[in-house]
Amino acid sequence: MPISRRNFLKSAGVAGIVGLGQQLFPSWMPRMAFAQDDRTDRDVLVVIFQRGGMDGLNAIIPYAEGSLYYDKRPTIAIAEPNGSDSSIIDLNGFFGLHPALRPLKDIYDANALTIIHGAGSPNPSRSHFDAIEYMERGIPGDKITGTGWITRHLTSAPWQNDSPFRAVGMGTLVPASFRGTASTLALRSIADFHLAGRQDQLVGIRKTLSSLYSIQQPTDLLSNQAAGIFNTIDLLAQLSATEYIPSKDVVYPETEFGMGLRQVAQLIKAGVGLEVAAVDIGGWDTHDDQGGTDGQFAGLLDELAQGLAAFYFDLEGYMQDVTVVSMSEFGRTASENASGGTDHGRASAMFVMGGGASGGVHANWNGLSDSALDEGDLAVTTDYRDILSEILTKRVNNSALDQIFPGYTPNMPGIINSR
Amino acid sequence: MSVSRRSFLSLGSLTALGVAVQNMVSFPSTAYAAETLPERHVLNRLTWGARPQDVETIQQIGIEAYIDWQLNPETIDDPLVDAFVGSRPAMLMPYDELVRVARDNYDFVLRAALWGRIFRAAYSERQLFERMVEFWTDHLNIPIADLLVEKVIDDREVIRKHALGSFRDLLFASAQSPAMLYYLNNADSSKDHPNENYAREIMELHSLGVDGGYTEDDVVAVARAFTGWTVSDRGEFYFDAEDHDMDEKIILGHNLPAGRGIEDGLQVLDILIRHPSTARFISAKLARRFIADTPPDSIVESAAQVFTDSSGDIRAVMRPLLTSPEFMASAGQKFRRPLDAIVAMMRTLTPGLDIDNPDPIAYTLEGMGQMPYFWHPPNGYPEPAGAWINTNGILERWNAAMRFALAGDGYFEGAALNIDLVVPQAGTVGELVDAAIASVLGTEITSEDRDQLIAYVSRDANPDQPLTEDLRRTKLPGLVGVLMASPYFQWI
Repeated sequence: MPISRRNFLKSAGVAGIVGLGQQLFPSWMPRMAFAQDDRTDRDVLVVIFQRGGMDGLNAIIPYAEGSLYYDKRPTIAIAEPNGSDSSIIDLNGFFGLHPALRPLKDIYDANALTIIHGAGSPNPSRSHFDAIEYMERGIPGDKITGTGWITRHLTSAPWQNDSPFRAVGMGTLVPASFRGTASTLALRSIADFHLAGRQDQLVGIRKTLSSLYSIQQPTDLLSNQAAGIFNTIDLLAQLSATEYIPSKDVVYPETEFGMGLRQVAQLIKAGVGLEVAAVDIGGWDTHDDQGGTDGQFAGLLDELAQGLAAFYFDLEGYMQDVTVVSMSEFGRTASENASGGTDHGRASAMFVMGGGASGGVHANWNGLSDSALDEGDLAVTTDYRDILSEILTKRVNNSALDQIFPGYTPNMPGIINSR
Repeated sequence: MSVSRRSFLSLGSLTALGVAVQNMVSFPSTAYAAETLPERHVLNRLTWGARPQDVETIQQIGIEAYIDWQLNPETIDDPLVDAFVGSRPAMLMPYDELVRVARDNYDFVLRAALWGRIFRAAYSERQLFERMVEFWTDHLNIPIADLLVEKVIDDREVIRKHALGSFRDLLFASAQSPAMLYYLNNADSSKDHPNENYAREIMELHSLGVDGGYTEDDVVAVARAFTGWTVSDRGEFYFDAEDHDMDEKIILGHNLPAGRGIEDGLQVLDILIRHPSTARFISAKLARRFIADTPPDSIVESAAQVFTDSSGDIRAVMRPLLTSPEFMASAGQKFRRPLDAIVAMMRTLTPGLDIDNPDPIAYTLEGMGQMPYFWHPPNGYPEPAGAWINTNGILERWNAAMRFALAGDGYFEGAALNIDLVVPQAGTVGELVDAAIASVLGTEITSEDRDQLIAYVSRDANPDQPLTEDLRRTKLPGLVGVLMASPYFQWI
């Protein structure tokens, strides 16, 4: 019989307690703070993944390249900065924002947003699935390692933290960057996270489920999940007991992405031990009808910018302890295709927002001439792991980079502020 | 014309999450199963969950005859599905008519498709066939939201037509399916601007596998070979010679001479289908679905050999796979994906369950991350257990089990349940628990777990306590719910 048992109730901590308001708090949680002075010596890391491959060249536009940019994109290029709402928003005389990214301009001007152009993975795979796996596992080209880079960060960190909210992936599935042994919460909705059924039976049901799931081999993973569920149910019940009202009347986009960021903000303010959150925004695989000033791609940028700006202003007073970093599995072809879209390319752009950002556009820029391009695509001139490494060491206080990105020696560009 | 088409991955925020490459999470090879009877194991894997009548059938005719019977779905009467399809004419309409209906009533057609997927899994007598349909639906994934009409037709004319037939016919049909041509952008691919999307995915996902030995040059050449493969105004495959690249191409070492037309694409399909990487890739994927997330190499190798020898006869590959010692030894090694789990709950409760409104079932699946036909990337819903074992997914699963079991008390909108038809009468608490275990799991469980269930029903944890009608009514739904929520039910 391959089933052994351990004291589940002990590991579940609060498993015996049902109901709101009067329970004891588990030991990992100093207090149910809801207070601003609950600070640690490291940032909360919020990782945004733009699934599908963002067209970095039409998001952060090197308009000063002139015809090298405009000739490649006859129908989707954006007009040079001229002050109108449909033209590029200049950043530094060379690069400019797509007009749909306007909500980010104030943040950029406050030096709280850094843009890294030409960023990506050194692995040239143009398969979404390979490229996403490589990026999230942080070892491009390696298909053996089963853990994600965030998991290795959490397990190698000099501190540990038993909070079920230590690592939260917003959505129904857990991203590959969290894969491995560190337990991660996939959270869809704070308000809806509770056990269903007859109220008079819930205590008994919960007790019975706990014991059925208190197994070690071979499904320890499932057992851990079960323990986490009961802890989480209790805490989210407290969080959702009062309605969350974002600060400054900011409005998050009513999308999975927007709602995900909103709930991350809520968890940050609640001080429940959140260290890393992942929020996805999909739809970037713009093979056709990408659009220019308006259209599909502009709509995506608008959602991205509205969400990031809402998050930033909602968390004013917290952002010095939060670093947001975005990535996408690859960029797109420098030239548009016959369908008014762009195909899979190489480098894209990354955003860093919040405490770690020092402002400006960072790019090891070689231009868009044929010789500078990588088989027709923007070349990767900054390894995305260089940015993550600098954030991890300077903002998150984990310098075990040899474990997080094994076999890689990062070349940190020095664009992240130390805490 | 598609009803409302956007580029793929447009809703990808949740669904593009990783797990594209298989076997990223390794699981212990030991199984979560006590003593599963071979008959039960076969039912667990070939069907979408065992009903009492399935248990009777396999006990009567034996395992081998049961597998052969299920491998020949054309010989199996399917009255419930016939009636279902007959009452939803949209499912049989030709393209023109379906476009008209979908334009006026998109939701009506979408509901018919979604509920059709769940209904057939739950109520078709051709259970293995429906499992194969699910397999190929993932393998040749096409999200339905923007390609409603095309996907309904693809399901009918590609997936269902060839699910247990010839892989060659399946891939040829898929390559010329308007849904696939639109979804992976080949419909827009021309000699001046070849679009590589389909070329890449047909090799990476549909045939050779990502490590199957093709290069970036092959991707470009295959894209050129398929230029001009598009869709006519009447919604049918159409080869547009004007758009076709007639120059010479070299693909996987084969020379495709200049000056040809549709023959280029047809030859590419033949090259891919006959490539040894394809035999191995498809066989390994079938083994991951039907045996274990990390199947033994031995069974993959032998299945690949059958695939090659039979020129891709899917039925011929499935039979040795399902009768192999590796298959029989794999009880407890597969974790039910959300659709499997929900349908298994429905089938477990079949004797007493009545579904009036299917929408809440679809919403439940959405919450669990597996709404049928809503996976956006072309790789299909993930297979390995690790993709599905997370806090949210497990809680949603528990809650679905509890709500189904309490459907008799109004806890599952649109569903009614007479639980007395599911679990027979019992004289004592112990008898009730054993009857519920037999009805829901059909396997033994550990004595500790049985004790816990007895303690749930009886305040004194006394198995010999006489079962009053009142106690039965209060406790039986929770007992059935907990069993359907238990690890025993998830690992099959």
